[in-house]
Amino acid sequence: MNVPVHNTRKVMDTIVQAVATVLLGKEDQIRLALACLLARGHLLIEDLPGMGKTTLAQGLARALGLSFSRIQFTSDLLPADILGISVYERNSGEFRFHPGPVFSQLLLADEINRTTPKTQSALLEAMAEGQATVEGETRPLPRPFFVIATQNPVTQAGTFPLPESQQDRFTACLSLGYPDPAAERRLLEGGDPRRLLDRISPCLSAEQLQHFQHAVSRITASEAIIDYLQRLIQYTRTQGEFEHGLSPRAGLALLQCARAWAMIAGRHYVVPEDVQAVFPAVAGHRLQGAGVTATGEGRVEQVLNAVDVL
Amino acid sequence: MTAIRQLPRYGSLWLLIAFVASVLPHTGHLPPWISVAAAVAVAWRVQIFRGAWHYPGRWVKFALLCLCLAGLVLVYGRLYGLEPMVAMLVAAYALKLLEMRDKRDALIVVYLGFFVAVSLCLFDQSLVTAAIVLFALAAVTAGLAGIHQTDLHHRHFRPAMTGAMLLGQALPLMLVLFLVMPRLPPLWSVPMQRESGTTGMSDTLSPGDITQLGRSAEVAFRVEFADDVPPRRRLYWRGLVLSRFDGRTWSQWESWTYARDNIHMHGEAPPHWLAGQWGTGTSVAYRVTLEPTQQHWLYSLPIPQPLTAGTGVTRNYSLVRREPVVSETAYRVRSWQARPDASDSLSPLRRRVETHLPAGYNPRTQRIARQWAAEADDTEALVRRVLDTFRRDFFYTLNPPALGQHSVDEFLWDSRRGYCEHFASAFAFFMRAAGVPARVVVGYQGGEHHRAENYLIVRQYDAHAWAEVWLEGSGWVRVDPTVAVAPERIERSVVDVLEGEEGLFSASPLSLERFRSVAWLNTLRLRLDYLDYLWTKWVLGYREQQQSLLGDLLGRVEPWRIALFLLAGAGLALLPVLAWCFVQARPAFTRVEDRWYRHFCDRLAGIGLAREPGEAPGDFARRVAVREPAIVEPVKGITEAYERCRYGGDRAAGAELKARVRRFRPRWSRLFFYKDRKP
Repeated sequence: MNVPVHNTRKVMDTIVQAVATVLLGKEDQIRLALACLLARGHLLIEDLPGMGKTTLAQGLARALGLSFSRIQFTSDLLPADILGISVYERNSGEFRFHPGPVFSQLLLADEINRTTPKTQSALLEAMAEGQATVEGETRPLPRPFFVIATQNPVTQAGTFPLPESQQDRFTACLSLGYPDPAAERRLLEGGDPRRLLDRISPCLSAEQLQHFQHAVSRITASEAIIDYLQRLIQYTRTQGEFEHGLSPRAGLALLQCARAWAMIAGRHYVVPEDVQAVFPAVAGHRLQGAGVTATGEGRVEQVLNAVDVL
Repeated sequence: MTAIRQLPRYGSLWLLIAFVASVLPHTGHLPPWISVAAAVAVAWRVQIFRGAWHYPGRWVKFALLCLCLAGLVLVYGRLYGLEPMVAMLVAAYALKLLEMRDKRDALIVVYLGFFVAVSLCLFDQSLVTAAIVLFALAAVTAGLAGIHQTDLHHRHFRPAMTGAMLLGQALPLMLVLFLVMPRLPPLWSVPMQRESGTTGMSDTLSPGDITQLGRSAEVAFRVEFADDVPPRRRLYWRGLVLSRFDGRTWSQWESWTYARDNIHMHGEAPPHWLAGQWGTGTSVAYRVTLEPTQQHWLYSLPIPQPLTAGTGVTRNYSLVRREPVVSETAYRVRSWQARPDASDSLSPLRRRVETHLPAGYNPRTQRIARQWAAEADDTEALVRRVLDTFRRDFFYTLNPPALGQHSVDEFLWDSRRGYCEHFASAFAFFMRAAGVPARVVVGYQGGEHHRAENYLIVRQYDAHAWAEVWLEGSGWVRVDPTVAVAPERIERSVVDVLEGEEGLFSASPLSLERFRSVAWLNTLRLRLDYLDYLWTKWVLGYREQQQSLLGDLLGRVEPWRIALFLLAGAGLALLPVLAWCFVQARPAFTRVEDRWYRHFCDRLAGIGLAREPGEAPGDFARRVAVREPAIVEPVKGITEAYERCRYGGDRAAGAELKARVRRFRPRWSRLFFYKDRKP
């Protein structure tokens, strides 16, 4: 199936509109999340409780027509609760593997930082290689495979901050923020969001989604764009404002997301605005400020201002 | 405003380094208490930096000022003169450094630093000094850069880099000024207070004078011969002819020697007493580079023909110069190997002066001289007899015993130990006592032949004194009694003769001369001397070449031509700096589309809409569209063409971009659609 570019844009808009019916006034974040998924990346949503993190994840899963499972992370969750376990069956006299929630197309890991690092790292292999090793046997995960994780700000009580290695596995990190007054009013006046969620019908089939994922790789990223990307990455490494610069994996993620963003905008090539649009989401959670300040949030904008586009 | 005036903490540290670098080389010629005061100022400043001490209070500062002034007056007794002035400058520098609090003070300290550093050149102009001054200038420039950086900079060596870079950028201009700037004579002269510390020949000769010079390894002059270097025994560098003797000291007969008729300056028609001297026999031409002596006389081989303007030859065949030699001076001479004019005769007055002896000195010598004169057949036999006596039982030494009132008597018949001036003086006295006109000549003998570069180095320890006697029919003939006593002094070198003797080089404790026997050190010594010679010849002695260079460059040397050339040269010299700045400021664009787009941005910047560095072309176009609706269409077209071409890989869009940018005239469009413009 070959979808022309203008059709792509129409399809993308449909998806965004569908999710926007449950998450009001957050089109930009929805687009970013979509771009992240199209770039085959995993998404981390960080915000205070009750801001709509889970709603965004569920809405996306429904609109994309993916099989969906959810794990609520708690402090006593064990890796086996995620990956699955072999259980002895008396009838056959054998051990039979009962797959865990990770064996689905879209895994929502809710409040991932409430569990211990041991359990958090059970997701590492699944996210990086798309497979799970349980009891010495490696089993492939369904395709496509996404993880959408939500977490509370690390300053909240009862949280285990994600280690850098785990954070780097997440392609992008979003934060939703409070809705604007008009959107909030519509939310308050509207019906129950749970019911609205059920009303979202899938806009894509799994095959179509995979097709779009392939199409992302074919979006042209010209020499000039690669140069700009390299300048950005170099700046974070040499300017001394950050504890560590961006990793090569971050560079790849940045390029892939920029391509996805260009595709959502209905273009077949990447322009600097695409890079700038996805940069805060992709780079923000990887750049820790060099001084006492905890995160590099505002500084990421500063990088964009300082590095010449041309 | 106060924040700007405040001095950055590390900036003051650089000023301290600059202070040490510019004052330290001065310590040699300043009174010791000033060095101590400077050290105290630095120490105090360091304590202030560490936060241990406070700034000096008003009364402390006043007391320090009074102390410094009192010290200056006590040491010098006057303020006019080079050394008191420099001492005062250094004292002021130290005091200002101590009270420096804000940026304005720091600037004064920096300017003082430049002055103090450069004033070092007034005392010494050697290659080493030039290097020290350059280093001090770099340090002061670093101080200047240091007070303009903020404390947020973490790189403390950055001011040093900036200072060195600034000096480097100034270097081409410095070169042009050096080449072209006319060497003006000073508008007023500052008396140089020359202490006895400087070595060199004086215009009188007493026992012990040349012995003193023999202890110094400093360079007196260097000579470059046009052809081969003549053999050592012919290298008698005549300086002064001393005809008057007062019993202890030989001095010049100034009224006769420097009478106008008895001096022939370069460029004049030769007088009668020179008529037969030049143009007969063989000659050697050479160029002498003389270290400053503060005196009027020059050194040359007999019989000199001056080839440089401003120099002349006296009737004693000594070479003189109109101005004293206050800085390194080069002159050319051709020396003729002719015998002095045999037909010349001594006038009665000259004969009386050249045989005059003070009454009541050295009676024993006078008696014996008269006796020997009666016994000898002719003057030459008498000379031979005296030299034979010297040859038999006299010693040549750098450490002769002190002599009393009858110095010649004591030397000839008692101690028999002496240096060249003792022999020359005694010989001339003896001859005069015997009725033969005789005089003492002082100058240098020999010199070290630098074989690699083929020039001759004459040092202070080559200083020598010998005698000349008047032989009827032959004129003045050189007789060197030292040859009789120590022939190796003339054939080899004074260093070989006196090796191991106490006192040799005692005036030059750091000289590499001490290690002549170590081969590689000797090579190093000669290399260093050549470097120093090149410096003296081409940098300090550049005055001479400058005239011909300017003549070649300008056609005629006129002030306005020089000024024009100076301006053009300075412009040319600064061009590379400008080019470098330009290249630094603009990123290199290899793609033609980038250049066109940059052109488009420049035009928009011309109407006040400059693109921010982090602003993508699309965002920029949208911002322009809001501000200047009149030019939405062309801006949008250009931006789209650029994006297609540069990001979309559409090569054909390049031509469209070029065409659109060429047509793009935002100034005109704005003029016509001015009303549409939103505020």
